[in-house]
Amino acid sequence: MIRWGLSMRLLARNWRSGEQRILAIALVIAVAASTAIGFFTDRLGRGLVNQSADFLGADLVLLSPRPVENAWLGKARAAGLQAIETLEFASVVVGGEELLLSSVKAVQDGFPLRGRLRIAPAPFAADVDTDTLPGPGEAWVAPRLLTNLGLQVGDSVEVGAHALKITAVITFEPGQARDPFGMSPRLLMRMADVPATGVVQPGSRLSYQYLFAGRETDVAGFRKWLEPRLGPSHELVDVKGGRQAVGSALERAQRYLGLAVLAAIILAGVAVAMAARRYSERHFDMSAILRCLGASQRDLLGLYLPQLLVIGLLASAVGSLLGWLAQFGLVYLLADLLPAAPSVTTAWPVLAGFATGLITLAGFALPPVLRLKSVPPLRVLRRDLLPLPSRAWLVYGAALCAILAVMWRYTDNWALTLSVLVGAVALVALLSLVALLLLLLSRRLHTRVGVAWRFGLNNLWRRRGSSVSQILAFGLTLMAMAVVALVRTDLMTTWQRQLPADAPNHFAINILPEQVAAFRTFMEEAGVTTAQLYPMVRGRLVEINGAAVRKAVTKEARSDNVLNRELNLTWTTALQADNHILKGRWWQPDDSGKALVSVEAKLAERLGIQVGDELRFAIGEQRFTAAVASIRSVEWESFRPNFYMVFPPHVIDRFPATYITSFYLQKADKSLLRELVARYPAVTVLELDRMIEQVGRIFRQVALAVEYVLVFTLLAGFAVLFAALQASQDDRLYEGALLRALGGSRRQLRAGHLAEFTALGALAGLVAALGTECLSWVLYTQVLHLEHSFQWLLWVITPAAGALLIGVAGYAGTRAVLERSPMLLLRNQ
Amino acid sequence: MIATRHLSKRVDTAAGPLDILTDINLEMQLGETVAIAGVSGSGKSTLLGLLAGLDLPSAGEVFLSGNRLNDLDEDGRAGVRAELVGFVFQSFQLLPGLTALENVMLPLELAGQRHAQDAAAQLLGRVGLAGRLQHYPKQLSGGEQQRVAIARAFVTEPAILFADEPTGNLDNVTGERVIDLLFRLNQDKGTTLVLVTHDEHLAGRCERLIRLEAGRVVSDVREAHPA
Repeated sequence: MIRWGLSMRLLARNWRSGEQRILAIALVIAVAASTAIGFFTDRLGRGLVNQSADFLGADLVLLSPRPVENAWLGKARAAGLQAIETLEFASVVVGGEELLLSSVKAVQDGFPLRGRLRIAPAPFAADVDTDTLPGPGEAWVAPRLLTNLGLQVGDSVEVGAHALKITAVITFEPGQARDPFGMSPRLLMRMADVPATGVVQPGSRLSYQYLFAGRETDVAGFRKWLEPRLGPSHELVDVKGGRQAVGSALERAQRYLGLAVLAAIILAGVAVAMAARRYSERHFDMSAILRCLGASQRDLLGLYLPQLLVIGLLASAVGSLLGWLAQFGLVYLLADLLPAAPSVTTAWPVLAGFATGLITLAGFALPPVLRLKSVPPLRVLRRDLLPLPSRAWLVYGAALCAILAVMWRYTDNWALTLSVLVGAVALVALLSLVALLLLLLSRRLHTRVGVAWRFGLNNLWRRRGSSVSQILAFGLTLMAMAVVALVRTDLMTTWQRQLPADAPNHFAINILPEQVAAFRTFMEEAGVTTAQLYPMVRGRLVEINGAAVRKAVTKEARSDNVLNRELNLTWTTALQADNHILKGRWWQPDDSGKALVSVEAKLAERLGIQVGDELRFAIGEQRFTAAVASIRSVEWESFRPNFYMVFPPHVIDRFPATYITSFYLQKADKSLLRELVARYPAVTVLELDRMIEQVGRIFRQVALAVEYVLVFTLLAGFAVLFAALQASQDDRLYEGALLRALGGSRRQLRAGHLAEFTALGALAGLVAALGTECLSWVLYTQVLHLEHSFQWLLWVITPAAGALLIGVAGYAGTRAVLERSPMLLLRNQ
Repeated sequence: MIATRHLSKRVDTAAGPLDILTDINLEMQLGETVAIAGVSGSGKSTLLGLLAGLDLPSAGEVFLSGNRLNDLDEDGRAGVRAELVGFVFQSFQLLPGLTALENVMLPLELAGQRHAQDAAAQLLGRVGLAGRLQHYPKQLSGGEQQRVAIARAFVTEPAILFADEPTGNLDNVTGERVIDLLFRLNQDKGTTLVLVTHDEHLAGRCERLIRLEAGRVVSDVREAHPA
């Protein structure tokens, strides 16, 4: 058994000569990426969840039409959670001579559990955060309630039999963001004052909302306990469900981060594999000598494996440290955006980093190193003798296992992991074939180009085995970089489109038909651009194809909220910009007055509505039928008015309608609202600016994180480039020296190398473009749910970037070599 | 010590099977110095590889100190080599990553011996490299490298030493010195020396000269007065 000491001496010696450096660097990148992202997503995730919790007012909300058992709250508190009860009900409130239906919320001390209320001393005045609540006998109200009732702060308002003094105007209420529309103005009061109102009677329509907050694991534990106990009338809302826009952004971002890290790790793995292969090849002679001197296969493993292990551990340690530091850098960069999240407490990302390092090493470096043990001793006499190549199943099997393990960690989903892997294998096979074809084509070309190019292309063809694998390695690297960059751009665009800087942040509803023209003029004069004014008729869907709607739909759909309330129906000639017809057709000019309707896609799917179905609506006492002409997708996250049901003009305009629109208003122009409400008292203004601001902030955070992770992927990509260039360097060196010895000038050789690498890069770029198209299509349609379009620019940029990058890097790499004496190189062979 | 029976080596080539060695029957005694001579391509290096168990024959048997190499797997043959065999090669075959001292210690370490360092340093002293212990092969001249290789070959006091064109990469003067050293050590240790060479002068210094032509033994002569 060879002693550990000899192994370490060799390691130290190899390290000094730079042999294992690229392997270690690639590993460090993989581990640093994994650790940094581990720490960071952990922290960002918690930060985002916290912010989203601010929207919800809690980490978890239980909705119930009746009070729930006290034991449930007791259980929550015993589990270490904060738990409070709130009550919402609709009530007509009275102020002076006026009546107004308002949405009353009664709260207890501690509300809200997450986020803060914001209040102002008067409608549309500057607001501030507060930790207090209305006192006993007091109420805080939405600005709308004051303007509609003609009251001011300080006046009294009656809720049922109880008079409350208005002490502040609410401008932001966590939890209310869940449903900013179709809501009567808010009145916030103490739970203790509720009995005095006499409003809560048997049969009253009430909504109890139980708010829970606490440590993530405690909340999850309580949720697990609670879920099986819930009845059909209960509803649980969590942070993700709480806000669709944020929820989906968050989910996409997390998937993206996972994807980018995965790409970084796999790329680093490829670099490790290449470096390990070179390491292995450079140790064939040594292994042969050792075998010759009587070393057993075990001795050889005992010599090489500890080296590998030590490199793995050291690189993992350095990588973890770098990852940890990188995460600090990020937190520092995002100090303004990141909420004060609990400081990092878990060692989990470090452990995961070590695991990533060792798994990557085992998966990618072990097979080539294991090959060393089967070097034939006869190689000492015949240098052309090579060990049997590692079995393909071992090389690819080990790499696949490593990728699987890492992927599973990021996706936590076996089905997804496996299907991605199968796809990846198919893709690599396809790309190999394409690489070979491209090589063949370039071979055809080579008679029509200059000497340098002929030399370069000839070289590629002569080493076609290794050329294909290099094209593939560079191609996959460029592909990973391109995909990650492409997805990043598209994610950003999607978010920006969702929330452009001038996204409407206010809605005006209840605009009376006779006021429409004047309202428009008023806004125009104030310099505010409004979206289209849509008429809104309230009606119910009562029948589908002649059957009562509850009987016509599936069991699950019966409880759909849409069936239990009035829908906003509208008519228009032009399709809204962010709507798309999925099936059927949009209105033709002669459809005006025809009983047709366009249905929103998700609703249609839930209720099983198809094009051609007959829908019957009830508006007030009247009923009428319309045929479904189209199914339409809607971007609900766009903050523009959108509708489930859209009719052609002159179908429902005989029914009483009000109008709705949205507009963007800067903070400084808020006083306009006061004027607006004074001039059109019936108009209700919904202020979504605070909420939109918050959503925007979350998007910005996520965007930064996304860019940060991109850096790791690029670094890993460069490691691959470097490793691949280095791997083929020995051959090129020898050949170059030989050619120079035979009289080739440096300039000729340099031009030849440049041509060879440029061609290699361009071919790899083409392969990458094809791979990127395939991969991004799958990612967009299956994972990220983004729109996919053919990227013609990609077919220009990646080959150009590949040619430039690899051309320059390869040229620089071999340049130094040409400076050295050919004699020296030949003698060292 | 070494014996072969009907030893043959045949390889497949693009032009069909090629016999490199045909029906070689040899016996070599303990302490004998044997030269295997022949022109390039006569099969001498192949024979050396088979005798040392670096390769397996297509037919026939090889015995090394009573061990039938055909019966052993690669690790088994490595074990025999570790115990019985030393090598000196034309291209020195030192490990570039190890110093002269470490290169010489290597076979001892493989055999799990303590005091490897002392033994190695002593032997390097005997080949005249006492001042070069910590040099890496790259820092040594060709002759010095070959002397390190000779020290490495003898450090385990092997029963058999195989030398493959040991002077092939050296100039005449240096080669002569290296060969003197080789024979001197061989005599001191009583080792069986099997030397492959195409150099007639070098072959003539051995007690016995086996000539190969096209893979067959064409003469096997014991010299009356070896070097």
